[in-house]
Amino acid sequence: MKLRGPIVFLAGVLVALGAGWAGFPRLIYQTRRQPVDFSHQVHAEKAGAKCEDCHAYRADGSFAGVPALDKCSGCHTAAMGSTVAEKNFIDQYVTPQREPEWLVYARQPENVYFSHITHTKRGNLKCEQCHGNQGASNSLPPYQQDRISGYSRDIWGHAGRPAMTMDACVACHRQSHLEHSCLDCHK
Amino acid sequence: MIAQGKTNVAARYGMSIDVDRCNGCGACMVACAAENNVPPAANGATERTGLTWIRVYRVDNGGEGNERRSAFVPMLCQHCGKDAPCVAVCPQQAVDVDPATGIVGQMPERCLGCRYCMAACPYHARSFNWSDPAWPAGMEKTLNPDVAPRMRGVVEKCNLCQGRLHTAKAKAAMAGRVEIDPADYVPACVEACPTRAIHFGNLNDAASEVAQESHRKGSFRMLEALHTDPKIYYQSKKDWVRETASAPRPGKENARG
Amino acid sequence: MAGAVLTPAPWRLITDTALWSENWPGVPRPARGEIRARFTTCALCPAGCAVRARCVGEQPVLLTGVSGGLCPFGLSAHHLPYHPARLRKGPVAEATAAVAGKAGQGIAVLDLNPGRTASWSYRRAMGAMKGAYLTPQAEPFAYDLSAARTVLSIGTPLLDGWGTPSKVNAARPNFRLIQAEAMESRTAMLAEQWIPIAPGSESAFAKSIPQLEAARELSLVLGEGPEIAEINQRIGAFGKTVFGRSEAVVPETWTREAAAVTAFADVPDHSIAVLLIDETPATSYIPWHRIEQKLVRDNPVVVTFAAHRGGYARHAQFALPTAMYPEVLDDVAPAADAIRPVFRLAAPLVATPTGVVSLAEFVGTLSGVPVANVLRERADAIHHAGQGTLHTYADRQRTAVKELTADAFWKGLNEGGEWTWEDAKPRAAVMNRAEVRPVEPVESPADLPLVAISEPHYAGLVSPLLTKLYQESNLLLAPNRIALHPKDARDAGVVDGGRAMLQTRLGKCAVEVTVDAAVPAGAVQVGSAPGIQDVCGHAARAKVVSV
Repeated sequence: MKLRGPIVFLAGVLVALGAGWAGFPRLIYQTRRQPVDFSHQVHAEKAGAKCEDCHAYRADGSFAGVPALDKCSGCHTAAMGSTVAEKNFIDQYVTPQREPEWLVYARQPENVYFSHITHTKRGNLKCEQCHGNQGASNSLPPYQQDRISGYSRDIWGHAGRPAMTMDACVACHRQSHLEHSCLDCHK
Repeated sequence: MIAQGKTNVAARYGMSIDVDRCNGCGACMVACAAENNVPPAANGATERTGLTWIRVYRVDNGGEGNERRSAFVPMLCQHCGKDAPCVAVCPQQAVDVDPATGIVGQMPERCLGCRYCMAACPYHARSFNWSDPAWPAGMEKTLNPDVAPRMRGVVEKCNLCQGRLHTAKAKAAMAGRVEIDPADYVPACVEACPTRAIHFGNLNDAASEVAQESHRKGSFRMLEALHTDPKIYYQSKKDWVRETASAPRPGKENARG
Repeated sequence: MAGAVLTPAPWRLITDTALWSENWPGVPRPARGEIRARFTTCALCPAGCAVRARCVGEQPVLLTGVSGGLCPFGLSAHHLPYHPARLRKGPVAEATAAVAGKAGQGIAVLDLNPGRTASWSYRRAMGAMKGAYLTPQAEPFAYDLSAARTVLSIGTPLLDGWGTPSKVNAARPNFRLIQAEAMESRTAMLAEQWIPIAPGSESAFAKSIPQLEAARELSLVLGEGPEIAEINQRIGAFGKTVFGRSEAVVPETWTREAAAVTAFADVPDHSIAVLLIDETPATSYIPWHRIEQKLVRDNPVVVTFAAHRGGYARHAQFALPTAMYPEVLDDVAPAADAIRPVFRLAAPLVATPTGVVSLAEFVGTLSGVPVANVLRERADAIHHAGQGTLHTYADRQRTAVKELTADAFWKGLNEGGEWTWEDAKPRAAVMNRAEVRPVEPVESPADLPLVAISEPHYAGLVSPLLTKLYQESNLLLAPNRIALHPKDARDAGVVDGGRAMLQTRLGKCAVEVTVDAAVPAGAVQVGSAPGIQDVCGHAARAKVVSV
């Protein structure tokens, strides 16, 4: 048969395409759950109106990131609502005083220097421009961790930007002519 | 779209080192290593294979007995002008001269470890990581979070404590300022020097201490004949010290330092 | 294959592998957290420099000076808790039993960093137990460089970590320095005049000072040996630049209970049955053979309280682990240039390790003298006296003690502060008895051709980062190194960077060699390692043998 070669080849291509496009993303990303089923929406309504109320800047301009447990236990020493998530949170973390191991979607490699204050205050960027509109979300999306590199697939589910890669940083910096030196963003 | 463009006037950070004040204690070398997460010597590391971003050399006038006079000269990356020899030779574009600060930056993550830059650098200011950085058990807790430790197989060197510049910029942004406060950006070696032999500042700012000292009599730069346009100025009242800077004296049995 | 290339898979794999390699498992990650400043006083030497510690959370990551810089040892003191040579456990019960078994026989405490509050605890305990309290020197002087115009220093490392460096630097523009020394040391390099003298001829040079041209201008002579005090007295330096070393006030009961201070050299030979050594913040090292000479011949018990294994732990029957700066609350002895009383606390920056003991508590339990709260008692005594001011490092404020409550004074000291009594009248210098020094027997130069020059600093334990100065450069002579003139190195058949044996009449020690034309021919500069000091002191005759 003359056609056998090309057919096998085409079949191989199709299998490889299928594996690469469909199978690979399932394989390479491992879905992990956040330790606590947290609702930004509820907290935005009841505890703080602005992102900075919880994700605070320190006096020296550094960014404190995800609040530590003592910020949570300021209100949640005892259950305030009736959700299972809150009860679990109090039982597993507040009472034994154990810091929840939050999975940070925007976590950067060690050699990256990223200053939030420079971007928000000097660059006038809104938090949502990178992080998506999570302030209004009711639950945390699953954390899709790349099995090899260990980083999240994207900053905030599919609603926000894709993974915060150097390409994304450079594209924006280039657009606004703020490309100076590697060490501006690396340490 | 980012609203704010570049408003900073370009700075040219540099130093002025008074050789006559240096007592060779080595505080700058240790402070630099602590600040920049440079590990202690790996087993068997020597002067040639160790990691030092700043190094204090002892030089002498070649005299014998009574005639002998020595001096200590701290040597670090001289932060050459835009035609820095290391920048020109790097096949990876892992070295750049920041137009906004004049700092010659080395990007260890881009570095492929060919060490061409080390051969090109006339000041021997670069070192190579022959092994992964290792600290005694527990000591990694003392690492500075503002500087990333480097892996084996890459070159590293002084970047005028870039981590401190980052911190100063964040502080300025927090306070709503565009320019950093000069008091917030002082490299570790300058801060550590017990005899205040090293001054640091913006050479483009005519009012700064370093700019004035760079024009003072007795001020000199290393190997000026090479036209590398360094931003590290030295000063000494002694003629023989200044002569040492123009050409190394060969044929010494052993120079300590 | 062709199909796979058209999918994201290979590209993703390449990127991921690159990202993974940036987080190489062999590279540790620094901990992140809030950056805070804490203040303390460096207790590594009596200079007691004010320290600002940059901390991530509670963990210090960088030490800097508060006014001016710090020395390389002080800068890296926050690494010491993790030093691989730290002594972490020891036979506490056995040592206690052995000491108790010798009750009633001659007991002594050797304090290698006298002038601290702990020193008073030792003296009180020895007073209660009829024991002896020993220090390297009996009655140290204090020198006022700010009043000096011409200083002659015989080998004193005046500009290299002597006294309180910030005070020396402040006084430096106003005095002329003549340095008489065998080598062009760091101090000699910066001195206005360097007089090279033969190694070991310091004493002879001191005797010839009156014949020097500059003799009439001298306002202070610094050096070691009994002649120096006499010369200072003769040139009228007593009461002008030379005083007695002042100490802050202590509770009155302490002075009544305390045993006298005895210079180690004055102790009769073979008289100590139990010797307890405090070597944690040691600023000097007494060679072991000189200690051995003072011990009884029959089963002496020596217990050293050490933070590392490199000192007396090599010789003593019992080596008990102690905490050290910056792990433990202690005070700092007055420096050589403290002519007025000072009191500083070294507040701990990291948690005290478990399993450590302290000599003060050990002798306190033995003697029944309460020592648990001595620092607070002393601070209260200073506060009660109501003199002087408290200088707090964080806000750089000076507050008169009278304006503070006892608790506020204590709190200020603990958060980084220094009490000084600036308008106190300096104590008069007292001529002490001639220090007994071991006489080196005359040896034939042919047998031991070299004369030793000692490194001035003894650092018991140093940060692993000091390899920058010892190994990755040759800026300081490493403790286990010797330096030789090229000619002597050739004669001995040793090469730069090689290994050799340093041999003296007391024994031999394995060393590494630096060949350096700055060392005078006929001399050998020796490092400060206890192993070297055990066999080779300053001016001792030595020989280098290749191995």
